[in-house]
Amino acid sequence: MVDLSDKTTKAITIGAVALTVVGLGYGIKKAYDRDKVSETSQVVGDATAARPANGALTSPNLEGLELYPTITKGLRTPFDLWRYYGRGVSSFGSPELPMKFEQWVEFHRKQKPELMEDVREYMASRYDFHETPMEGYFMTGGKPIMAGPVARLPGDFESFEKLAECPPDKIRSDDLFPYKPLAHPLQSTAHMLFPRSWIAVHPEHERLDVDMDIPEAYLPEFPPPMFLTTHKELGDISGGREITFDNYYDIFDGLLTPEQMEGLKELLRPTPTTWFNQTSHRITLEPSDGVACFDCHVNGHTNGAVELGPDSRPNMARLRTDTPTMRGNYNLMQLSSKRSIRSMDHFAEVEEYFDGDPGMQQALGPRGAQRQITNRMADFNAILDYPPAPKLSPMMTLYSDKASEAELRGEELFHGKAKCATCHYGPAFVDDYMHDLQVERFYVGRPEGPIKTFPLRGIKDSPPYLHDGRAPTLHDAVEFFNLVLELHLTRSEKDDLVAYLMAL
Amino acid sequence: MSRSEAKAMQPFTMLRISLGIVYFLFGFLKLFPDLSPAEMLAGETLSRVSGQLLSSRDALRVLGAAECAIGVSFLLGIRPKVVFAIFLGHMAGTILPLFVLPELMFKVAPFAPTMHGQYVIKNLIIAAAGWAVLSSMGNATGRMQPSTT
Repeated sequence: MVDLSDKTTKAITIGAVALTVVGLGYGIKKAYDRDKVSETSQVVGDATAARPANGALTSPNLEGLELYPTITKGLRTPFDLWRYYGRGVSSFGSPELPMKFEQWVEFHRKQKPELMEDVREYMASRYDFHETPMEGYFMTGGKPIMAGPVARLPGDFESFEKLAECPPDKIRSDDLFPYKPLAHPLQSTAHMLFPRSWIAVHPEHERLDVDMDIPEAYLPEFPPPMFLTTHKELGDISGGREITFDNYYDIFDGLLTPEQMEGLKELLRPTPTTWFNQTSHRITLEPSDGVACFDCHVNGHTNGAVELGPDSRPNMARLRTDTPTMRGNYNLMQLSSKRSIRSMDHFAEVEEYFDGDPGMQQALGPRGAQRQITNRMADFNAILDYPPAPKLSPMMTLYSDKASEAELRGEELFHGKAKCATCHYGPAFVDDYMHDLQVERFYVGRPEGPIKTFPLRGIKDSPPYLHDGRAPTLHDAVEFFNLVLELHLTRSEKDDLVAYLMAL
Repeated sequence: MSRSEAKAMQPFTMLRISLGIVYFLFGFLKLFPDLSPAEMLAGETLSRVSGQLLSSRDALRVLGAAECAIGVSFLLGIRPKVVFAIFLGHMAGTILPLFVLPELMFKVAPFAPTMHGQYVIKNLIIAAAGWAVLSSMGNATGRMQPSTT
């Protein structure tokens, strides 16, 4: 037998270990390279790869992005989801919980308080919700409108005007942009998140996993007034009430056509959804009848409930969307922030109850969305009018004898320096196009792509602003566009613009 | 080392190398996104334990690097005391999901674990094996040697 010295033994051991480590490491790296190009991998590109030197724009641009964390339903998700990318495990959902329902309840009983504490802390780091009302400004039904901007200025900047002097590249590289996207506070389940004012009246929509993250003062009034194009003489037809399945007949009988009546009834009828339903795949303690269109679009307007746009996968890539108002939908040629839906009956057929997943609808539904019914839902939708705007003429210009100096200056800015009228024009102050504002020029994140222009008619009634509510006040919305379009508006010009928007 | 001593040491050597390979393999996997089956469990647990200070991905990077270091140390048989301390810490960490995410660990707590739960509970064997190897092979020099007791 060969007797090896200690030195030789040590060398052999180190060699063997090195070979093992290198072999395993090489094998795993090869496995990763093979897996990441397969259809089963989350990885859809190399986040560290630079763009080709020839400037080609066809390759992925994942610079600075992280892969989505691997999680399951109910687990917490990062609040800064814009920094992530990746492919989901599957396009198809499952009506199964990752645990038994009793465990699901217990899991959220423990997780929710901590989550909501972190949500409040996160929102407080982004916004100063001081809840100071603007003197003399109210929503149509009388709710005070909050003053802004409430987004926190980054770093040592003393004003938004100073921040606006920075070029986009600097704002991006120094992480200075105050209006990054907002994610759903629990995006692994996501779904409809109702405000406290709604929950107080409809406790059946109290979620066991997460609550609304925006303070009530920065949300639309509840219940909002309702106006009909067919009965302008009646003013607010709701009379301060929430229109419900129980009272709609008494309120509208004799005022609507039978088709409109049926459409309204269907807009008020709750139907099961992905997470509000009769099965254990739910986020309510008790089984739920579901959600009606008018549960978010209260009185044909909005209560500020939050959902995710159903148009993308994985679920973590879906954009948070506020509930838009249904007022004035008769004027819109496109509906939905991302999907370019061309008619209201089409929208009623494909809306977000099942997160764009017909399989989930089959498992948790049913939802009777036959064409005849959705057409009638659209019939009622088509008579929901904007609130009165007494300072606006038929040509959508301000009456000079009714408008204030500030409002008139704002109107001039709207059509001039502030460039608002480039996209916001016509009777609804909307162009019915989707625009890519390329906001990712201002922060490191996944591009959100084109988003539909929102109508500005009656806009003071619909806070918070932008598709995900990242601008809690009109002042914030103006600051957002001042930065993104590099308008260099002065403080007083921005105030004038806000005064004008209040008059629309 | 006598022939009988060397023979007595063989099972421990095999155990030590096995532990080294498993630690390194499982640790290195965690450094690559979407490759380790323990990604969700480990990332979520560490993220929660750190009070969300560590993102799931960062937590996996730290854990993966630590496991690789333990694996190489096992393979080389060096610094048994240091390795033992890290190993104990790691083993304690591996049972954390039982307390942090019990709903994912047990079908009926505490005696009917889920697949995830079994994956965690089986670490008891690794803990015992590591303890046996390290405690019977360490000596004052820090170089792993067969135990004389």
